[in-house]
Amino acid sequence: MMATREIPKVAFHDLETLWVQISGTLCNLRCTHCFISCAPDNHDLPMMQTEKIIGYLKEAEQLGVKDIYFTGGEPFLHKDFLSILELTLQKFPASILTNGLLINEDRADKLARIAQHSHYSLEIRVSLDDYEETRNDSVRGLGTYRKVLAAYKRLWERGLLPILAVTEIREYHSPDDSPLNAFEKYVELLGSLGVLRPRIKIIPVLEMGMLPIPDSPRYVTPQMMMGFDHSLLQCSTSRIVADDGIYSCPILVNEEQALIGDSTLSESLVDCDLYHTACTTCYTTGMTCKNY
Amino acid sequence: MVKHSQSNETREQGKWGDAPTYNRVILFGGVYSNYISLEYLLKECQKMDAEAIFCLGDIGGFGPHPNRSYEHLQDTKVTTLAGNYDLSLSQGLDDCGCGYTDPRDNHFAQISYDYTFQNTSQPNKDWLITLPRLIRFRLADLKVLLCHGSPRRTNEFLWDSSSPDHLLHRFLEDSGADVLCFTHTGLKWYRRLTGNRHTVNVGVIGRPENDGTPNVWFTLLEAREQDLKCFFLPLDYNHSRLIDEMKKEHLPSEFIETIQTGWWTTCTEIMPFKERLRGRF
Repeated sequence: MMATREIPKVAFHDLETLWVQISGTLCNLRCTHCFISCAPDNHDLPMMQTEKIIGYLKEAEQLGVKDIYFTGGEPFLHKDFLSILELTLQKFPASILTNGLLINEDRADKLARIAQHSHYSLEIRVSLDDYEETRNDSVRGLGTYRKVLAAYKRLWERGLLPILAVTEIREYHSPDDSPLNAFEKYVELLGSLGVLRPRIKIIPVLEMGMLPIPDSPRYVTPQMMMGFDHSLLQCSTSRIVADDGIYSCPILVNEEQALIGDSTLSESLVDCDLYHTACTTCYTTGMTCKNY
Repeated sequence: MVKHSQSNETREQGKWGDAPTYNRVILFGGVYSNYISLEYLLKECQKMDAEAIFCLGDIGGFGPHPNRSYEHLQDTKVTTLAGNYDLSLSQGLDDCGCGYTDPRDNHFAQISYDYTFQNTSQPNKDWLITLPRLIRFRLADLKVLLCHGSPRRTNEFLWDSSSPDHLLHRFLEDSGADVLCFTHTGLKWYRRLTGNRHTVNVGVIGRPENDGTPNVWFTLLEAREQDLKCFFLPLDYNHSRLIDEMKKEHLPSEFIETIQTGWWTTCTEIMPFKERLRGRF
């Protein structure tokens, strides 16, 4: 008989950050490393209804939530996204995680206007997966490299200081030829576009979703949590809302075991299980999905 | 991996009974081992007729000879609370617990912390461990709570553009205070909230404000009955002398550039968009 694995809990501290899975699992790309397998035809999690999002934002305000992150899928696929963003920024700082493909000149102008009119910061995080075109496009799709960089430049030219978000997928595929300092490569790349103040965030790869689950999965143990500051794990301070309810972690959205509420944020403010291999990634790398 | 907790317990509303009362106080944060600006500030304070002076933590880091800053504070009537740096040093931890998430920010933070740890005497580390995490007093009829980062976490960054009104209201509600003062980010700001509530980031005297001028900033608070006035005051000091000493101690040229030019060159990734936009890098 197999021994039962003891699953440690992380103590809930305070709800600081609310993530919104605004476009569900719908995306205009099909990246080969996506941890929730988002795609143009993935309807596992549908678009969130605007009224539902506004309801969560109101509750977040009452609870004293500090900031809001919009993710997906691709947030700009949501028909009301810019209106929701504008409404959000009246009350909260906000961040968008986007692949950038839908940020044309008109949307870039609107984002600049919305950002300027808010007292709070708007962070726009645009994803790229390699500083070489062919390597990026093999992950994100043909032609994406140029479109992403064009979107980044549009935002930069409007003074929005976008963040380039990069996964360590190169290191995952080719650990022997990964650069010593990836930051320098991206600084150089953005510099070639005339971006003089690049903001870059490098994120570890999560072996789940579109990537194979490791042969020998590693889990967080109760011993590892002894003396560990729980507030270093985001599930002590963050929740993500999706169409079907509230999850403990933005990485584990659409994972049944991470679903901890179905209607109000208040009911989800509980200790939660560190049951997934992704929890080990957070624990060991100090990963934060947040911008800073 | 063992990490200490930066969490505070603030939901204690019954602590105002013995709190002292003032009408005019001086507050500053982030000395960052800039004992020269601290000397200038303490001289300035003598002229200002303040009833009390408060340091909101992070005494070491960035600058040279940390013991000189601790000893200045111990020799004067400054009431000091613990910042994340002070907690880390006093507990012998491996890093400053600043709360940075970017490896480039952490690279420079570690250089600074290692230097400060090696150059802080044991008696001063023992003194740091005695510092409180929160301080309460009354300013005329207003109840004031002091902390380093936020009331709930010593290393929380409360930037102007990342701190929504409803969160600040909740901090005040939970603690029973009318005025909340903090530091940690390095940038001063003041916001008056509804219901005669106030929040003040008191700034730092250890490094300039990322505005292209080498002076640093401190805060004067005055109150009469329920009426609060908040003044941010610039402090010029002999920053050339500090630069000479930083060079002799082989501190990074990036730190020296900040002292000289007033622009932040390190630990910039932690800044939100609006604050970052105002700087040079």
